[in-house]
Amino acid sequence: MKPLNLIALLLFLGGAVWALTRSDRSVREIQNAYYTAMTPFLKSGSKLETQARAFLQETRHSKELEAELEATRGQLGRLRLIESRFRALEQENAQLRHALNFKEATRFDVVAARVIRRNPTTWWQTVEIDAGSKRGIGTQLAVLSNDGLVGKIDRVDSTGERSSVLLLTDEKCQVSARVEGSPEVGILSGQRGGFDADPMLRLRFLSANAAVRPGQRVFTTGRGGIFQANILLGTIHSVDKGALDSEALVRPSVNFADLGAVFVVLSADS
Amino acid sequence: MIRYSIATILLLLAAFVVQQFLPAFTGIHHSRILLVQLVFLCCAVTVGQPTMLLLAFIGGFFWDAQCALGPHGGDSEVYRQQVENLRFGYSILLFGGMGFLMQGIQPLFKQGKWHFSALLSGIAVLLYLAAEYTIINFVRGDFTLSRATMWQMAYTSILTMFFSPLIFWMLFTIASSCGHSINPEAGRRRRSRWT
Repeated sequence: MKPLNLIALLLFLGGAVWALTRSDRSVREIQNAYYTAMTPFLKSGSKLETQARAFLQETRHSKELEAELEATRGQLGRLRLIESRFRALEQENAQLRHALNFKEATRFDVVAARVIRRNPTTWWQTVEIDAGSKRGIGTQLAVLSNDGLVGKIDRVDSTGERSSVLLLTDEKCQVSARVEGSPEVGILSGQRGGFDADPMLRLRFLSANAAVRPGQRVFTTGRGGIFQANILLGTIHSVDKGALDSEALVRPSVNFADLGAVFVVLSADS
Repeated sequence: MIRYSIATILLLLAAFVVQQFLPAFTGIHHSRILLVQLVFLCCAVTVGQPTMLLLAFIGGFFWDAQCALGPHGGDSEVYRQQVENLRFGYSILLFGGMGFLMQGIQPLFKQGKWHFSALLSGIAVLLYLAAEYTIINFVRGDFTLSRATMWQMAYTSILTMFFSPLIFWMLFTIASSCGHSINPEAGRRRRSRWT
């Protein structure tokens, strides 16, 4: 081997070892510097993606849209009825709580955001949203949609205008979960390489004789310090009972392929 | 030679910018065009070992800066079995490995047979993805390989490989504008055929 090549190889290995031994904090600083440099390009990139999606949505068949509109009108009427009933119940509930000197029901302080980029990396299931620290967003905050839990904030850009959301379908996003109508609690997470059109989540560490059945809903327990309690996660699809513990496959309540607007929970009184 | 080496570094940095505009193809198993890896592989076959290693370091370093996930967070009493992160910097070694693979067929490239390099770039991307997925399995345990993941890796390699002639054309153009020949033997053979 030529001396120059040998020196280059040693320098390369030294550099690789230096990078491999960086702490989480220095990695975050490196990432911040990288994304600050990339911000102008990212902005135009996400604008392009948003425009392309808007164009595709506009060109959807008009009959399909008409049917959707009719269905939405029906749904709206139904929801108005439910809402009026809900208001009455809420008022009654508040009066009863006041009478019993109870604490107020949980209230979420949320920030609405739009999904501007999907799956920017090969293996991790993440999306980027157009809200960051300027609107009070920090890491490890829960992200919701109308249908349930979407994921949690993984990274906030130093520009304060964007954040990255780790989706519930990613293996690394773990949520403490309970099964409705049963004492069962477990840890829910995505599956490795779960890029299918119909991703399933794994609910692990259930008891060996877990009395859970397909169709039961799964909610957050509120334990673990990240996710608030009683957020819908999905419904049980199948149960696999083992000798020591059981595991269930859960169909997520959120359609991750069609995420548009999401809500970041800034704080919640419990 | 130095001007060409600097141009390849700039081209790799430009690939990082263009990569931001290339989303995953959700209809094809979330496969994507890995432009950064492709530009690195094509450059690796046209430069000497020191430049290749410098490109591998820059490529791997910035790729990890782009993709690294944050720490798990949450109460460790509740989340006892936390899912491990890949160490920042692992891509530098993967890029280096791919670069050495590409340099193995540098003699063929210098003879003007760039088609082999184009084909090998697809194979190298497949190996890169397979190695990356194996590392994930090794670090996190519980080896799983679904059919969807295999298709994702295969389609990503094929899609990426299709763009390699374009990158080689760009490299030939850059080399000629820098007054540098990246396949000197082919040039000599062409000249001797004319005389």
